[in-house]
Amino acid sequence: MIKAGSIDKGTFLLFKGDPYLVTEREFVNPGKGSAFCRLKLKNLRTGQVLRETMKTQDNAEEIAVEEKDVQYLFTDGEGYHFMYTDTYEQFEIPVAGFEEKRYFMREGETFRVVMWESQPLDIKIPYKMVFTVTQAEDAIKGDTVTGATKNVVLETGLTVRVPIFIKQGEKIMINTESKEYVERVNG
Amino acid sequence: MTIEAARERAGIIREIREFFDALGHLEVDTPVLSPQLIPESNITPFRSDLLSPYGPSTELYLAPSPEIWMKRLVARGSGSIYQIAKCFRNGEQIGRHHNPEFTMLEWYTLGAGYLEQIEVCERLVARLSESRARPIEGVSVPFARLTMEEAFRSYAGVELSELQELAALERAADRLGVLPAERAGEETWESLFNRMFLALVEPSLPRERPLALLDYPARLPSLSRPIAGTPWTERWELYIGGVEVANCYTEETASERVRAFAHGEERRIAERGKPVATDPGFPELFPAGFPRFSGVALGVDRLVMLLTGAEEIGGVIFFPVSDRVLRNSSTGSSSRARITKE
Repeated sequence: MIKAGSIDKGTFLLFKGDPYLVTEREFVNPGKGSAFCRLKLKNLRTGQVLRETMKTQDNAEEIAVEEKDVQYLFTDGEGYHFMYTDTYEQFEIPVAGFEEKRYFMREGETFRVVMWESQPLDIKIPYKMVFTVTQAEDAIKGDTVTGATKNVVLETGLTVRVPIFIKQGEKIMINTESKEYVERVNG
Repeated sequence: MTIEAARERAGIIREIREFFDALGHLEVDTPVLSPQLIPESNITPFRSDLLSPYGPSTELYLAPSPEIWMKRLVARGSGSIYQIAKCFRNGEQIGRHHNPEFTMLEWYTLGAGYLEQIEVCERLVARLSESRARPIEGVSVPFARLTMEEAFRSYAGVELSELQELAALERAADRLGVLPAERAGEETWESLFNRMFLALVEPSLPRERPLALLDYPARLPSLSRPIAGTPWTERWELYIGGVEVANCYTEETASERVRAFAHGEERRIAERGKPVATDPGFPELFPAGFPRFSGVALGVDRLVMLLTGAEEIGGVIFFPVSDRVLRNSSTGSSSRARITKE
């Protein structure tokens, strides 16, 4: 059991029989009243999003999860297909609710998967990752304004705003949470 | 906050001053360090010590609002007053709309009740939004007005006036699925009300224009005046874009009612083991027959966010206390303190 006030973004809960991931948490004190928290929960079985209001003293059921290494194989649009690196067994995680993850997964790469009672629940994306720029316009000649930026497209299809000196074929580091450019990576 | 945003914020604050000066309110500047507070069980103040070289130290608090001082000035005959004050609240979430240190516009108007203050607030918001370079969605006048009774009827499907008894409210909360089974029989009227309000009513409140949500239940402890013959009090909260921006009461001055409020809050504070020095003279602040007056507290940072389209409070204040600051603090613990508050 966990007090609702201790629930944070990233907590896994068992709620009405289904596993949920907390994706947002906000505390509210209505009109100088006592503290409540508002949660946005994602049902990890169906991808459905649920909003729930709880008093910070209410109990919730936290689930104990474990992590395993998996290899990302491909997506068919409905699901992401993975393989456990130890047993070579394959499984699928629904794309619904995880649409954004496709920008950070390249076929053949290894990720950590969050497991609960031998069910895969969530894929962990590293906070920072390096990608190749596949589309970039050349900087306009004579444009020397400091801080000038432009859009480029990465190998996974993600569009990011980068400094004007970044060229096609170069590698750049991305903050996967904010989807923002961090730095150019040499070599 | 960028320097450009700071310029815009400074302009808004300058206009707020011009507005209240023209309205004939005196600007006051009351202490941030306060030896006593108004008992409010849901507010956790910041505490510090005044050290004396000669004797014991004295506990002082960073004012969670300038109310205690401003009411003393009103009682002393200041007439209508306003203040743009730094306020401090501990133990609350740090987030999109919250910083532990924030700026409050608080004003008290002699001879005016809570309904007149909606109009004052409308004129202020109209003026500030007209000065912006572009029109701001959802910030327009007149404000929508909705009573709490109507809001519960429309969005929760219940007659709040018929749910004044604890047992009746609990049955309704249970039927509407907002009371966890293990909490049955454990909740106060206020807590059940807030569960229904937050789960069913507040998310449905209209957002097309600012909304004054009027006439709060008298069963919620507050220093607002009851409306005779009804279960409501003269109080409103202003919501803009779904965010609580201001709170207004026709102020209760009758000493027996202020005392009842203070005792209730002091009891709740003691139950939670949070020692707070409260002013024993507060209930007797206003002599019998003191003229009717009302007060509004308005969150300046939130208003500036709305007027400038800032997404986060950090876009309208310099150096916000962020989770990142707390994590990286060289003096603090590297783990983020989990705040659980009743």
